[in-house]
Amino acid sequence: MYEFNYHKASSVSDAEQALRNASDGKIVAGGQTLLPTLKQRLASPSDLIDLGGCSELCGISVDGDTVTIGAMTTHAMVANSAEVQSAIPALAGLASNIGDAQVRNLGTIGGSIANNDPAADYPAACLGLGAVIVTDKREIVADDFFTGLFETALDEHEIITAIRFPKPEKACYQKFPNPASRYALVGVMVAKMSSGVRVAVTGAGADGVFRVDAFESALDGSFSASSLDIEMVHLPDLLEDIHGSPGYRENLIRVMGKRAVEACG
Amino acid sequence: MAGNQEFDADRAQDFRVVGTRPARPDGMDKVTGKARFGADMNMPGQLIGKILRSPHPHARIKSIDASEALAMPGVKAVVTAEDFNADAKDRDVLTNIMARDKALYEGHAVAAVAATSRIKAQQALKRIKVNYEILPHVTDVDAAMQPDAPILHDDMFTQGLDEKPAKPSNINARHEFGHGDVEKGFAQADIVIERDFKTAATHQGYIEPHACVANVGADGMSELWVCTQGHFHVRSQCASLLGMDVSRLRVTASEIGGGFGGKTTVFIEPVALALSRKAGRPVKLVMTREEVFKASGPTASSSMRVKIGVKKDGTITAGEASLNYQGGAFPGAPADFGAMSAFACYDLENVKAVAFDVVTNRPKGAAYRAPGAPMSVFAVESVVDELAKEIGMDPFDLRLKNAARDGSKSSYGPKFGKIGLVACLEAAKAHPHYAAPLGPNQGRGVASGFWFNFGGETCSNLNVNEDGTITLAVGTPDIGGSRASMCIMVAEELEVPYERVRAIVADTSALGFNDTTEGSRVTFSSGMALIKAARKAKEEMCKRAAMMWDIPAEAVYWAEGAAHPSGPNAGDFEPMTIEEIAGSAAKTGGPIAGHHEYNADGAGVSFGTHIVDTEVDPETGYVKILRYTVVQDAGKAIHPDYVEGQFQGGAVQGIGWALNEEYIYGEDGRLQNATFLDYRLPVASDLPMIDTVIVEVPNPGHPYGVRGVGETGIVPPLAALANSVSAAAGVRLTDLPMSPPKVLKAIGATKLAAE
Ligand SMILES: Cc1cc2nc3c(=O)[nH]c(=O)nc-3n(C[C@H](O)[C@H](O)[C@H](O)COP(=O)(O)OP(=O)(O)OC[C@H]3O[C@@H](n4cnc5c(N)ncnc54)[C@H](O)[C@@H]3O)c2cc1C
Repeated sequence: MYEFNYHKASSVSDAEQALRNASDGKIVAGGQTLLPTLKQRLASPSDLIDLGGCSELCGISVDGDTVTIGAMTTHAMVANSAEVQSAIPALAGLASNIGDAQVRNLGTIGGSIANNDPAADYPAACLGLGAVIVTDKREIVADDFFTGLFETALDEHEIITAIRFPKPEKACYQKFPNPASRYALVGVMVAKMSSGVRVAVTGAGADGVFRVDAFESALDGSFSASSLDIEMVHLPDLLEDIHGSPGYRENLIRVMGKRAVEACG
Repeated sequence: MAGNQEFDADRAQDFRVVGTRPARPDGMDKVTGKARFGADMNMPGQLIGKILRSPHPHARIKSIDASEALAMPGVKAVVTAEDFNADAKDRDVLTNIMARDKALYEGHAVAAVAATSRIKAQQALKRIKVNYEILPHVTDVDAAMQPDAPILHDDMFTQGLDEKPAKPSNINARHEFGHGDVEKGFAQADIVIERDFKTAATHQGYIEPHACVANVGADGMSELWVCTQGHFHVRSQCASLLGMDVSRLRVTASEIGGGFGGKTTVFIEPVALALSRKAGRPVKLVMTREEVFKASGPTASSSMRVKIGVKKDGTITAGEASLNYQGGAFPGAPADFGAMSAFACYDLENVKAVAFDVVTNRPKGAAYRAPGAPMSVFAVESVVDELAKEIGMDPFDLRLKNAARDGSKSSYGPKFGKIGLVACLEAAKAHPHYAAPLGPNQGRGVASGFWFNFGGETCSNLNVNEDGTITLAVGTPDIGGSRASMCIMVAEELEVPYERVRAIVADTSALGFNDTTEGSRVTFSSGMALIKAARKAKEEMCKRAAMMWDIPAEAVYWAEGAAHPSGPNAGDFEPMTIEEIAGSAAKTGGPIAGHHEYNADGAGVSFGTHIVDTEVDPETGYVKILRYTVVQDAGKAIHPDYVEGQFQGGAVQGIGWALNEEYIYGEDGRLQNATFLDYRLPVASDLPMIDTVIVEVPNPGHPYGVRGVGETGIVPPLAALANSVSAAAGVRLTDLPMSPPKVLKAIGATKLAAE
């Protein structure tokens, strides 16, 4: 680790101020991604601004058909929340399968989304459910938020404050964990929304999370697993790495997609 | 391998302490964090060492310029190959711990720095200028054997051929074992199956990285604190590598967080000593996990062909194996052990195993639990499984029909003594696991395995303290609960409570030479030494009692932790307890002790049989383990918990090897997965409870019948898993690890995955 200045922000505006004043400041949430990066000296921010003291960013609320989750809410809180479990069980289930207990007790939804790891689970939930990412400056729909590998639409000093999930008619997330890291080798979120079906895939895209148009229109036609026995036209480039070829991942998209549809009932 | 007849069957009838499960003496320290492992030691004034490693898999080192690094504040010493004894006994180890003319693998040490902090040492590494001439490399075993392969060592001419070859190659040696005439045997067979197999290199995966602190005094008197399986071996290696007298180096073994064979040699220890000698201060060196992967001693990868012939009645007429093992950049891939173990479970008339020990641009392999055996046994037991199906015979019946028994001529030469293979096979066949129903996409696999076990040089001390408690000094680091077993055996022999005995692992200055904790030897050899030491102490205590009673020593016997007069003629005395005898030792001749030093012979070979059920997901290729049972001959389980733990641990490591673990090299000759995020060890959530059955066929060579149990357990799982997954998937899998993409490809479920 290189040296840095540490600030514990008491509010979002406090954090924003500190970010602005720093020459190269960085937000730290659960630290589960950022701290290992610092320890390996892969990053050297001048300042770390800790959101741990911003109580306004933590918590879950349900309002009609919308579930709002504060950016600093941990994976464990989402997994164990009775409200999330009843409104969007797929989301609680997804959170309960992230990493291990230690990671779930510290890692946050805001940190996960801001980081946009191509194998992370939450991006599939946001894109699949058509969530809205709320920042201290604006609201960004998930379709515009995830812009590439570890890239998002966030501006330099922008802070995620909450994520708003619309309640689906039904939804299911199926993850094929990488046998080594347990991140998603492929994870598929299938959600039947009032506006139509959405299918989002994480783990497989060379540019990160993406939607599968062919699956969505097929499921709009008939919401059954067999509808997915079609060609997946217009797929983006798929990842190739030591854990799986693009072909293997493409197969998993279909298999996990079908299992998600089946599990939706 | 026939040792003395040591086993006492009458004695074994009424063990009081042996076979119980008391708490282990190191348990409390380990669960409370008090135990001191390699990196827990710090010495006053200590520097931190860091090693500069080659980024290239194969390169000539043209020059090393450390002047800039040495000029940095806080940097106290830099060492390179020149700082070691060029005449050291073991040239390969000398060249492995610090590259001399060439870097032979990615991660090969080329220089090292000692500085006042880790950060300063790391910064200094960046300022050492190494001028490399990059050479072509080879990391695959079959590719390395090709005539046009890049050659690692110009002076490597294959040994074991009838004639010395004209040209150097990467094949260090050819080994052959067997007897009979395999061609004749195959001609007698009704069915012959021949297949090719591959296994990947894996790492022992011990959780504690290598760590040590070295302190070389100005007068040359030196100390080394180190996490190792064998501190005496570390001492002789380091003394030779540094050109110093053995007596000047005192090595203390720390507690150890796993070794599995990987900590039986030296890597950073001589480097820390060389840095300390040069800097004149203690130097601490700790490997990172990436260094452990890239620059310690993983096991061999292999490419094998096995051919076995069988008659319709199940008689195996011949078995033949050809084994290519690469063990990294230096000779020593355990191909010979692979060839010796391949058919050890069978009593065959015609058998032949040929093995090649091959070098590649990978880190120098070290031992890994039953080195060499899991691979060849995987190949043989896979073919046996297929033959059983082919002739419609139960796989246990086929194995029983051909099993090695007491007195069988082993496939590697000697005749077996008393062995427990048939007992294991019968116990496995009768186990409820074998009769349990299976569901769709599920399969059951069975396989047996074998390991030699080792005895070796041993020296142990026993002291009867002034209050009648006992302290044991053992020279073999405890990596599997052996301190508990030592205390049990001494408590048994002296007939005192387990709690009255304490065992410590003594440093190299306290005992004569001890071979390393390897070859499943410790409970056997250190245990036997302590039993004999206890017998000497007992004899001495009887003598002391006799002296106080003023009767002949022969008229006294030992029982219930006390000396007794042998009968009314000897005299009418109350038994004299060990506490009383110890308490008056000053008056009867001074301290009471026992010791025993020998080269232990007669380590009984050990066999085991595993059963595993798996379920294969036909759409993803994912393999789930449903149920696992280990049956193994322990000779005698001194502390059954640790025996079961060894069985389970071996099975788990074998499961990892079979399903997930793999050293993956890129085209660039660099390791692609040197982290636990990319190299998957099985963890608790991947596994069912591993059931165990301890078979006890006493080893005649040990007073209590002990056989080594640490290694055999890793031998059957590769084959058992392959047989189980093949049954579940409906296709024979011959290439490990059976990762999901590979299994799916074999199933051919999708044309996409088949690309
Ligand atoms: C062993 C391990 C296993 C894991 N397995 C999984 C897995 O299976 N699936 C999975 O999805 N993830 C996994 N993770 C990642 C985990 O979910 C992390 O918690 C997550 O990626 C980052 O969250 P964090 O709160 O720790 O963020 P931090 O590490 O604190 O921050 C990450 C990045 O986000 C930025 N940031 C944080 N909060 C905000 C905010 N409110 N606004 C703007 N920027 C912000 C930071 O500046 C930083 O750049 C794993 C991590 C580990 C260590």
